[in-house]
Amino acid sequence: MHKMGLALPLAPLPVSMAENPLNPNSAARRSAYEAPGSLDSAGASQASDEVLMARIAARDREAMGQLFDRYGRLVYSVALRVLKDPGQAEDVMQEILLQVWNGPATLAQARGSVGAWLAVVARNRAIDVLRRRRPSDSVDDVVLAASGDLASEVERNRMIEKVRGVLSKLPQEQQRSVDMAFFEGLTHAEIAAKTGDPLGTVKTRIRSALIGLRKGLEA
Amino acid sequence: MTGGRHISQDDLTLYALQALSPEEAAEVRAHVRECEVCRELVAEINGELALVALSVEQEAVPEGARRRLMAKLAAGGAGSAPVAEARGRGEVVPIRPAGKAMLWTAWGAVAALLVLAVSLEVQVQRLSARLRQETAQTARLMEASAHAKEVLGVMMAPTAQRVVLTPARTKAMPIGRAIYLPARGGLIFQANNMAALPEDKTYELWVIPMNGAAPIPAGMFRPDWAGNASVMMPEIPWNVPAKAFGVTIEKAGGSATPTAPIIISGAAPAAGE
Repeated sequence: MHKMGLALPLAPLPVSMAENPLNPNSAARRSAYEAPGSLDSAGASQASDEVLMARIAARDREAMGQLFDRYGRLVYSVALRVLKDPGQAEDVMQEILLQVWNGPATLAQARGSVGAWLAVVARNRAIDVLRRRRPSDSVDDVVLAASGDLASEVERNRMIEKVRGVLSKLPQEQQRSVDMAFFEGLTHAEIAAKTGDPLGTVKTRIRSALIGLRKGLEA
Repeated sequence: MTGGRHISQDDLTLYALQALSPEEAAEVRAHVRECEVCRELVAEINGELALVALSVEQEAVPEGARRRLMAKLAAGGAGSAPVAEARGRGEVVPIRPAGKAMLWTAWGAVAALLVLAVSLEVQVQRLSARLRQETAQTARLMEASAHAKEVLGVMMAPTAQRVVLTPARTKAMPIGRAIYLPARGGLIFQANNMAALPEDKTYELWVIPMNGAAPIPAGMFRPDWAGNASVMMPEIPWNVPAKAFGVTIEKAGGSATPTAPIIISGAAPAAGE
């Protein structure tokens, strides 16, 4: 993207998506991430993500260490899953955390869900590395809604287990499509070529998998 | 894909996954920038993708990773140097206040290395695939490529010290340097001695097209404490010959059209000059 070295302005989004006829599921979608106890239990003993990010913005290196302790493993694991190379995965992790250090304002894009935002940015950057291309999107362009802050390890682990459980119950072909698109970075055309399915089927299958994941978490 | 209407959730999902072709992605990106509804949907889809990311096996980070991060922070937060992309022939375009001529020998050498790195890299890949027997030649090329990459890494490293040399007792003036390759939409820009800006302002780089069309925004930047800044490979249209380049001060978030005054500018020489 052409926006370099500066956070894009966070677009105000006052529209109630639940009222949008294109998106009748939005209200329910949000509720999936706002399951009781999943968002606000970072614990009194540890700083919230917001506090941590404010300290990082104030160039507090110790806060950066805490961010590493909290999300480094997740970011690394996502990059490793994509790249299958510990060295490259660590490079991606270091690069992303340094970007946070150098431009913490960009995390406004995470809308309070720093861990989820880091996980998606890690995946995208790892795919860039996998495809040997320059970053296709600036991190500033990844805007993410919902998902909770995942700041508490207990809650994070609870969510991880729940997501795994729901994903494992999706139809096999949906699981495989999401896996190929998300972790292998294949385009829908490449997935279609690999599976022999029509393009439209692949598109719908990926979307259906995500809807299934959301609904499964609501249940 | 859009036809002026909203984009389907299927396609927005593929967009968020970066699974569309570059052309399709550009079309969706342009729509999403303008459309609040689709922008919000992409944000929600990214939220769902974060859940998928959560499903990975949690692996322990490599030993020493935290120490290495903290060491980088202590050293000033150096990021990884951007990887040089395959580039062809580059044009070198000065941007500076009138009457300033400096450092062009060194800059030209770096530009030449950029081109060298690209051609060597391409050759290395081709040889590796097709001419496995000629390992000696491949090794030589790789060595040269690695050297060129090292030079580029230094050039692009955020923590590299950037010093503009001027005649003694000359007041430091803002200066910018651009390397532009219209055929690939490639643009590398570095600036020094840029004045600090208030929080609500940003510098914005502009490509002024040869054909008289409106200036094209080519990236925003804010200088570091020392007045240095760079814009690397902004997303701009391809095949737009440039008449000139300019930098203006805009409101944070940028502008679609440049706001006077132009802080620094430079005319592009004819291609191949």
